[in-house]
Amino acid sequence: MLVNEARQVLSRASSLAARHQLRAISNTTQVEQQAKPKEALEPQIKKFEIYRWNPDNAGEKPFMQTYEVNMRECGPMVLDALIKIKNEMDPTLTFRRSCREGICGSCAMNIGGTNTLACISKIDATSSKPLKVYPLPHMYVVRDLVPDMNNFYEQYKNIQPWLQRKNEAGEQKGKAQYLQSVEDRSKLDGLYECILCACCSTSCPSYWWNAEKYLGPAVLMQAYRWIIDSRDENTVERLSKLKDPFSVYRCHTIMNCTRTCPKGLNPGRAIAEIKKLLSGLASKPAPKLETAALHK
Amino acid sequence: MLSTLILRGAARSNAANMIKSTARLTPLKAYCTIVANAQRQALTKPLALTQKVAPIAVRGIAVSAPKMASAGSNHTSLWTIERVVSAGLLAVIPAAFLAPSQVLDALLAISVVIHTHWGVEAMVVDYMRPAVVGNILPKVAHIALIIISVATLGGLFYFIKNDVGLANGIKRFWAIKGKDAEKA
Repeated sequence: MLVNEARQVLSRASSLAARHQLRAISNTTQVEQQAKPKEALEPQIKKFEIYRWNPDNAGEKPFMQTYEVNMRECGPMVLDALIKIKNEMDPTLTFRRSCREGICGSCAMNIGGTNTLACISKIDATSSKPLKVYPLPHMYVVRDLVPDMNNFYEQYKNIQPWLQRKNEAGEQKGKAQYLQSVEDRSKLDGLYECILCACCSTSCPSYWWNAEKYLGPAVLMQAYRWIIDSRDENTVERLSKLKDPFSVYRCHTIMNCTRTCPKGLNPGRAIAEIKKLLSGLASKPAPKLETAALHK
Repeated sequence: MLSTLILRGAARSNAANMIKSTARLTPLKAYCTIVANAQRQALTKPLALTQKVAPIAVRGIAVSAPKMASAGSNHTSLWTIERVVSAGLLAVIPAAFLAPSQVLDALLAISVVIHTHWGVEAMVVDYMRPAVVGNILPKVAHIALIIISVATLGGLFYFIKNDVGLANGIKRFWAIKGKDAEKA
């Protein structure tokens, strides 16, 4: 017993000593790291050319404004630079941002010619070329980098993005789960991850030309997400709403959507699957599990 | 004694909560409904509003549902036929050249002309939009396209009927040699 206690005390003492040592080492390295770059390294200037337009300045045309940011004092992503510009240089610069980690879709914009999320696109600090930042293409601009998303959201609303059942009265809604087999669930992978940032839709020429009538890749992928869900029973109604020449069929498989998606999803494939379902080349398989089994 | 205290405390906290929640919720809800109603009115009566305020400052932002121009029509069978023709061309083109005959020539002429017609039609619909070029030009372009397609098909049929045929004609065209080639 005594031996045990002694061992414990000893181990504690040694670990304490080790911890102190570690702390001392890490402190010195931290101080050294902090001290060095500020004195030794020269500022690394990166130019940003940003689209500016303010509706309050009547008659003013949109223009590109250049900002010079020292990359030594800036985070690695384009959104970091935008926030730095807004905080330190020009508080009038307007853009949407929220989560800063690629899950909200607020900071979707055209960066260096590609629609992507500012928060997850890295700045090439070594390039002397200025980085051009525009709002999402072919959208009405509210101000600077803020596009008007009303039509896009209206279209999303139009596909009724919620689970629809035929026999809702006979089911205990909210009391029991709807069953779905692992295989059926896996069909939603690659569809449900969409954050509706509209990068794909605004990269699509068909959507540029016919945005009022063509639903666009993002919304169509969500339409397919609900069409193919084994728990959803309104498949026929959902498909019949897409039969006209514009909603789906304005897709000419240009595939800009898949190329630009910042989440690595494939809206082009989802649209092709909708076309196959519409033409009868494919059909929605019956659910592997009886969906409403727990409601009986 | 203790139990009454607890009960009184519970009652007090409940009452306090109720007052708090009603006091906080009612004005919030009222504000929400006011805003929502205003928005709804603006959405349902956009014309009346813009006429009153400023008729010039109408911005063409589409807020209506995207089912407008062609909601009723069904494009599915046409799309399926388009795919069938596209796939069929892969067989018809080599067949027409390997075994030239009037039937295969006619099939080649029909499928190629209808395939190009649909392709150009998509371009007309995409790039001759009423919102950009007005209401007349899209119709003129579409009718002109139909005339060109029908005329092309008629011409090809005439050539198949009264001349060497489509596949043979193209073969002969490729067999033409320049003057230099003849000398050499």
